[in-house]
Amino acid sequence: MKLHLRKSIFRLLALLPLLCISLGLSAQSDPSGESPATRTYAITNATIVQAAGDTLMNATIVFKNGLIRSLGTDVSIPGDAEVIDGTDMFVYPGFIDGMSYTGAVRPDSPERPDDLFTPDPPNDYAGITPEEQVTSQLSLEENSIEDLREIGFTVSHTVPYGRMLPGSGALLLLNHAEHPDEMLIQDNVSMYTQFVGAPGAYPGNTLGIMAKFRDLYRNATYSRQHAEMYASNPAGMERPTRDRVMEAFYPVVSNEKPIFYNASSSLEARRAIRLKNDLGFTLVLGNLEEGWGMIDELKSSDIKVFMSLELPDEPENADEDEEVTEEVRELEERRMEFYTKHVSQFGEMEKAGIKFGFSSIDANSRDIHDNLRTMIANGLSETAALNALTRDAAELLGISEITGSLSEGMIANAVVANGPIFDEDTQIRMVFADGDKFDYEIRERRSGGNGNGDATATSGIEGTWRYTIESPQGEQGGTMVIEKDGDDYTGTLTSDDGAPDQEMENLTFVNNSLSFDFSFDGGGQTITIVVVGTVTGTEYDAEASISAFNVSFPLTAYKEDPQ
Amino acid sequence: MKKFNLLIVLMLSAVTMLQAQVPKGDVLIKNGTVLTVTNGTLENTDILVRDGKIDRIGKNLRTPNGVEEIDATGLFVMPGIIDAHSHIAGSAINEGTSQVTSEVSMEDVVDPFDISIYRALAGGVTSIHLMHGSANVIGGQNETLKLRYGFTNPDDLRFEGAPRTIKFALGENPTRGGRRRGIQPQSRMGVEAMLRNSFNEALEYQKKWEAYRADNSRRKVAPEYSLRMETLVDILEGEVLVHCHSYRADEIYMLMKVFQDFGIEKLTFQHANEAYKVAPELAAFGAGASVFSDWWAYKLEVYYSTAYNAAILTNNGVTTSINSDSGELIRHLFHEAAKTQKYGDLTDDEALALITLNPAKQLGIDNRVGSIEEGKDADIAIFDSHPLDIYAIPLMTFVDGVKYFDKATDEKDQRLYIDPESSIEVVQIFDRETQHRCMEGADLVDFFELFNN
Repeated sequence: MKLHLRKSIFRLLALLPLLCISLGLSAQSDPSGESPATRTYAITNATIVQAAGDTLMNATIVFKNGLIRSLGTDVSIPGDAEVIDGTDMFVYPGFIDGMSYTGAVRPDSPERPDDLFTPDPPNDYAGITPEEQVTSQLSLEENSIEDLREIGFTVSHTVPYGRMLPGSGALLLLNHAEHPDEMLIQDNVSMYTQFVGAPGAYPGNTLGIMAKFRDLYRNATYSRQHAEMYASNPAGMERPTRDRVMEAFYPVVSNEKPIFYNASSSLEARRAIRLKNDLGFTLVLGNLEEGWGMIDELKSSDIKVFMSLELPDEPENADEDEEVTEEVRELEERRMEFYTKHVSQFGEMEKAGIKFGFSSIDANSRDIHDNLRTMIANGLSETAALNALTRDAAELLGISEITGSLSEGMIANAVVANGPIFDEDTQIRMVFADGDKFDYEIRERRSGGNGNGDATATSGIEGTWRYTIESPQGEQGGTMVIEKDGDDYTGTLTSDDGAPDQEMENLTFVNNSLSFDFSFDGGGQTITIVVVGTVTGTEYDAEASISAFNVSFPLTAYKEDPQ
Repeated sequence: MKKFNLLIVLMLSAVTMLQAQVPKGDVLIKNGTVLTVTNGTLENTDILVRDGKIDRIGKNLRTPNGVEEIDATGLFVMPGIIDAHSHIAGSAINEGTSQVTSEVSMEDVVDPFDISIYRALAGGVTSIHLMHGSANVIGGQNETLKLRYGFTNPDDLRFEGAPRTIKFALGENPTRGGRRRGIQPQSRMGVEAMLRNSFNEALEYQKKWEAYRADNSRRKVAPEYSLRMETLVDILEGEVLVHCHSYRADEIYMLMKVFQDFGIEKLTFQHANEAYKVAPELAAFGAGASVFSDWWAYKLEVYYSTAYNAAILTNNGVTTSINSDSGELIRHLFHEAAKTQKYGDLTDDEALALITLNPAKQLGIDNRVGSIEEGKDADIAIFDSHPLDIYAIPLMTFVDGVKYFDKATDEKDQRLYIDPESSIEVVQIFDRETQHRCMEGADLVDFFELFNN
């Protein structure tokens, strides 16, 4: 009985992508008035990269109802379409993140029970909660969604936070959702696991984790057999004890659901492979950082790989003219040897014919495009880099029929940039996720900026800042005066055009991130502008958004010298 | 689906083949003084190694085509040193959260990147017994390794075919963890009770599974599976050799009685500082002892010790070895063996056996290594003078006939991985591997608690 139910659930799950798309259509009732007037867009006269190496010049692509309706050089534009002039623009398939926490909120760590029996702690403290779903951790408020989207990601395989076995991952669209359910392509797609022990309780480290995993898996194998036998004929048979941990393993044991192992080092990866070889599950290595020594093994196996988008910083060696010993020079050379192994492994995997995707789980979204360029500079072809971000990732995740390339009938996931995507000067202008349009204004590049900015430490933000907002109506400037009030900050905005001063509300400054909002009367309607940005030394780089109009524009400021 | 399974089978066999590809060497070591350990000292003797095995031992052997020749004139050739108690090359040492962890295994946490492996090779060591720590009464399973430094796949360091072994621990270490966590055992009595309870539980477990296997019904329901109990059953059935951390004579005797009651025969005591007090009993049981040469007084239970321990045990017919338990001591185990000539007048062969043949016996690998005999693995160390001479310097170390250490071509920086984000300043000789790791991962106690037993 139970088994039949289970089977039909799997069939339902397979249909979920289709269901979600229609859900996305019907969820457009919008009392807030935030939705755009149309969800039909036509980008004309653009360079359209359908997939790596498959490019249409001077072509048009039409998105309608969240799908790619048509594309080509001879395409009729629907009457309700917002037409976007794509001259000099490049349109790419939206990027896919193979393993990340995007959209998930880290829950509080389980509290240590007073009477904790360390050899056998409760499952939630041990971190053994494979029955959990990441969907219960999702929040639309999570900055990670926008952080990834603004650099081109439209789909995320999001996994839950936790310890050894945090739960199941879900495939999400980074769209304009009003409820996390609207983001779902499919939930329950993977069992996520990692080498994270329970503090001071079993399993405490890799030793216990490896053993516990084997123990759970083998018990689940027996438990599943029992449940199946009972389901087919319960008469005279001991009733199987229900156990949600065991039941979560059933689809893994039957190879219907893959295990995504967060294995960044080569040793972790090899340990995950060891478990796979012992037990026989379907393994996906996520977040792999050290893959260069195992290329042959990966090639000759059926293991799927999502490489980490995090790279080590390039080592800073002593200058040519600096007086250091020969030994230091030699040690620097060896250190550089391993930096090179890190950054050139992607090209080597490509040469070996290994298809891989990327995982952002340990990467800072601000570094990702720089890191991709570093991989390309060290041997990865631009074609393979794009494939890893799009088509290959979609194939590895089993969603290549609905996304990962630009063609008719696919989900309208696309990145619009003002140049070839991996060029240093290229900036992303728009991202379409599930047919929802997100605009990004071109920012002026700071001279000599390599992304690291001014290294001088931020001492405090009190003082007078000159700001510039680049609004659609043109540039507007003024000062912001920030004062410290105990542990809190207060501030006033003065506009150069003589408009009344504004109080800076909700002013917070944490970890160099400065945010505030201010409001003004827009003809009977209070309009709130939210400013979020980063302070680096005496510079402030922010984005001001008016959520009511779904627009945002850059705000930059610099701190005036007190003298 | 069928096709897919077939594919997996093919993949798995491909993986197995990959793992079997550790290199085996061919070499002729010419005209050395060969310390065979089992057949005395052979002057001006050649050793021909073919495909990783000692093919022939004799005088004026012909060098086969293409085989490298090493002139060992004036040099001393001995079997590779075997350390029966080591914690190098492990990413973790204790799963210290539980007092019975027979399910965990050091084979899961082998760290081939550990620079200590190379340092051990530079001391003539070719094999180690990578042991679980001593925080638990029944600790994890150990792993016997060959020091094939340079391979980054942990599987390539495995001593293929070596029997399974497991760590037990008595005395202060496991009771310390119990008291700290408020769980059993908190005394030496508790340790014995926990051992007996565990084996009785394993017998019950075994019965349940035997009944399940004997049941012909197609609708039989499996009992709960426990990797922990599976391992204990394997110990009871003699498939796993027990290596027990111990110091005091009373607890050594206690464990022999427990094992007698459960019919377990394969037993080696580790450390065993007071083993000399029960040497005849150990010999009668057939238990081995793997001891320090002269290291004691670092906690209360190791005060009643003597440097004559190894010699007394040897003279009583106990299979005895000298181990390092340390990433530093492992580099000069030949010094440790030599001390038994000052303290106990052991012969050269007896002293050398303490670090070669005897640890091989204790690990169940003496059919493969531990002496220089035709047919054995070519795990060999070459010294510039007699290895029991205080001035002896190891020159070359071979595993399976492949040279993994050569003093003449030693590189300054032998690390296999360097974090690109590390600073140059942290490169130094001293590192955590030289620390004792027996209690790593377990809560440590302060000085007062140590003496408040």
